Amino acid sequence: MTDALRLERVSFAYGDVTALAEVSFALGPGERAALLGRNGAGKSTLVRLVTGLRRPAAGSIWVEDWDTRDRPPEQLARRVGSMFQYADQQLFARTVRDDVSFGPRALGFAAPEVQQRVGRALAALGLEAHAAHHPYDLPPAFRKLAALAGALALEPRLLVLDEPTAGLDRALRARVASALLERAAAGAALLVVTHDLAFAAETLERALVLDRGRLACDEPLAGLLAAPPRLEPLGLAPPAVAALSRALGLPGAPVREADAARALARVAAGRRAPLD
Amino acid sequence: MTRLHPFTLLALAAALVALAWLLPAPWGAAGTLAVAAVLALFSGAGLTPGASPGSTGTGMSPGWRPGLVVLRTAVVTAAPFWLFLFILHDVSTTVALGLRITTMVASVVWLVAVLAPARLVEAMVAAGWRAGTAYLFAATLSAVPVLKARAQRIVEAQRCRGLSPRGGLGPRVRALRALALPLILSALHEVDERALALESRGLVPGARRTPLAPPPDRGAERAVRWALVALCVAALVWRLA
Ligand SMILES: Nc1ncnc2c1ncn2[C@@H]1O[C@H](COP(=O)(O)OP(=O)(O)OP(=O)(O)O)[C@@H](O)[C@H]1O
Ligand SMILES: [Mg+2]
Repeated sequence: MTDALRLERVSFAYGDVTALAEVSFALGPGERAALLGRNGAGKSTLVRLVTGLRRPAAGSIWVEDWDTRDRPPEQLARRVGSMFQYADQQLFARTVRDDVSFGPRALGFAAPEVQQRVGRALAALGLEAHAAHHPYDLPPAFRKLAALAGALALEPRLLVLDEPTAGLDRALRARVASALLERAAAGAALLVVTHDLAFAAETLERALVLDRGRLACDEPLAGLLAAPPRLEPLGLAPPAVAALSRALGLPGAPVREADAARALARVAAGRRAPLD
Repeated sequence: MTRLHPFTLLALAAALVALAWLLPAPWGAAGTLAVAAVLALFSGAGLTPGASPGSTGTGMSPGWRPGLVVLRTAVVTAAPFWLFLFILHDVSTTVALGLRITTMVASVVWLVAVLAPARLVEAMVAAGWRAGTAYLFAATLSAVPVLKARAQRIVEAQRCRGLSPRGGLGPRVRALRALALPLILSALHEVDERALALESRGLVPGARRTPLAPPPDRGAERAVRWALVALCVAALVWRLA
């Protein structure tokens, strides 16, 4: 099976500033990866390279069998759905629905297909009620969701998202999480830049950590989050649930809320049993 | 060049524009354009890292690169005017108007590149203007690069959703027209935020302030400014006579 995304020794620099150095990894279809690292680690740069807005100075990036070097962003859009760090400023249509339909229309889908895709994308994020609103009448958090819906409407095989949950409250984050899980279940690979490790723990399974442009870490996310001594030098702090289950010594060191709750319930039940 | 007094920079740009329209075409405007181009080319000169904090200039790297970038921006901005003029007028009118318009564009692009808004505010306040008025001027200038960056972000996002910049003219024009509104809206949004931030720091409309570090104004520069005014007046008198 071909990888959804494959980076081979990718390097990039802005003038004298090295942003990425020899980064290699591959994502299979349906795989859910978190791209982590402190500020300035090179995460957004990597997103811009994958979308084709910039070209690697060395190495190559493959989206399935396409070399990004040969494809402009508008062509990569057939396979890559993206959202940038300032997504709430990228909307331009008169209504949310118009904006979300921009991608499918630009890719040349027929009207009924466009309608269906837009409907699915809006529904996935619970945005139907805002479909007819002007994007700039909505608070920035909803504008961000609308931008994400625009990427979902492309129904791409690879989603690269730069901080999709920054500035979102708990309820909106949960919407993003469920929409992403739904897409991954349908076979889309996810590469999600985030500083929100609680969100990552709930939604993603693999950790790619950049440190000053180098790939410092590529392993299962749960394992990494359960090991605070390893997180700190990478500029990361464990999410509350991971810290809690470590402090309590919960079996299996769960990092998701639901898993931790189950583990706690089991431990509690075990404690109670001998007393009864 | 960024170390010249802000008023001198303003006077230079204004004089170039005025002379371009006052002097007889096409040689007058050709001359002003040449001067504007040379200014643009040297806009990076004298830039040493840290010499002008807060400068909106094209960067801190000394040498030719910044000047070339400024020049290229001016050329790219002026090019469409030439096309329209050429469609609407005969060749001699096109050249006459084109040179004048290009002088205007080049002078403004150069001014935005070399004039640090913060220094302009300091200079205006030092000259007795109200802080609010001075801020209005500077905010307009400093909005240019911000809006440019934002427009770029929107266009990039559009490309990543399948819009080809080389594609059909129709969608391209629609996309460009669609850019204007969000740019204005987000700019207004920002003005709101800035106003709040300014008020919370005590910038109340009408209050006079003592500038912290007024840019030095040399006698020679003042003389140059008056000379530029005199030159423009002379050109006006000559053309009217
Ligand atoms: N347009 C640019 N020009 C010059 N340098 C840049 C540019 N964009 C980013 N950099 C530099 O490249 C490095 C990587 O930046 P990047 O934006 O990829 O980091 P990031 O991991 O996304 O950080 P953050 O978490 O703050 O978003 C940083 O040192 C940054 O200063
Ligand atoms: Mg970033």
